[in-house]
Amino acid sequence: MSSATTTEASHSPVEGGHGHGQHAPFLAHHFDTPAHQFDSAKLGMWIFIATEILMFGGLFVAYGLFRGREMEMFHQAHERLDKIMGAVNTVVLLFSSLTAALAVRQSQVGDRKGTTRWLIVTLLCACIFLVVKFFEYQHKFHDGLLPGHYFTAHLAQHAHHGHVLPYRAHMFFALYFMMTGLHGVHVLIGMGVLSWALKRNLDGKISGRYFTPIEIGALYWHLVDLVWIYLFPLLYLVG
Amino acid sequence: MSTATSDHTSAHAHAPQTEGHHEEGEVHVHVNSPLFMIAIFAALIVLTVMTVAVSYVDLGSANTFVAILVATMKATLVATFFMHLKGDKAIHSIIFIGAFVFLIIFVGLTNDDLSTRSAVDIDNGSHRLERSGDIAPGGLRIPAAPAGTTPSAAGAAAPAEHH
Repeated sequence: MSSATTTEASHSPVEGGHGHGQHAPFLAHHFDTPAHQFDSAKLGMWIFIATEILMFGGLFVAYGLFRGREMEMFHQAHERLDKIMGAVNTVVLLFSSLTAALAVRQSQVGDRKGTTRWLIVTLLCACIFLVVKFFEYQHKFHDGLLPGHYFTAHLAQHAHHGHVLPYRAHMFFALYFMMTGLHGVHVLIGMGVLSWALKRNLDGKISGRYFTPIEIGALYWHLVDLVWIYLFPLLYLVG
Repeated sequence: MSTATSDHTSAHAHAPQTEGHHEEGEVHVHVNSPLFMIAIFAALIVLTVMTVAVSYVDLGSANTFVAILVATMKATLVATFFMHLKGDKAIHSIIFIGAFVFLIIFVGLTNDDLSTRSAVDIDNGSHRLERSGDIAPGGLRIPAAPAGTTPSAAGAAAPAEHH
């Protein structure tokens, strides 16, 4: 992503040294070749992805260790989640990963319209995901299954039908909200990154020689998909 | 730039699998066919249906194992083909797998810490290991322990009192 900003800096008139006829306009001054620039951007993105995995890793470790000690409670609490909604969102995210990869492919072969089309489809999938998530959250809010001291389901359950939550069920829902919440924030950021990539494509900055913004944006989006690939079975399926 | 780009891309689009026509220093990538990518997506959907179906069958602790195994297969497909780790520089795969190696160290050490922690034994003013009932290493000693009684022998009786 930084390479894009430096690309624009290379158009600055105060930059001296050589004329711009000598190299492609997208090539920043501190890179020798387009390949050098592309490889540097991708290396940086992969290191960032590693840090993201470790950030989510903290939550996954908390999930694993609490679950190991509260097997029965986790299993009973997870039945409050909607498997069907989770599965629909899984399919939506997997499809959006496909369309993001297709956007990258079209940018690589220089098909600007195709890139635009697939990026828009990807963004629409992201919106569908968030709408489904909204209805899931709304239902949990209504049931008082909120994290921390906002958890009020144990007060309401006597008045409601016979769904009795196990002791310490708030631990499960705290993890549920923290994990899906952090993931949801990543969906929003991913939409921002893809929108920025879309804008660069519409501005004509993307070509078969320079598609780094699409590639990097898609890598971020695939990361969002990867996290959900683990969240879905662990929270919705096995509990 | 635009003429050069369109020339370049038309050559590229006609032969998406070839890479040899690039100039030195240009970006070289392997371009997958859309059909291949749709096949990967189909495999991901099949695995998703499988993992949901298995979740309705009670396999005991094997349910968790199957869920994580299938998720890992899906993640591998996404990383290998959608994120282009296949055919990419090895360093990207090393960084990616390295993150999981450190995650395993994280889980291992945290689990080791939690499972070997002692519980406070209020009656005797000491700390005891949860599993064996032994007095925890470095924990407080029981002041009035009778001579000849080893900590482990004293501990053997402890769980009965507390349960």
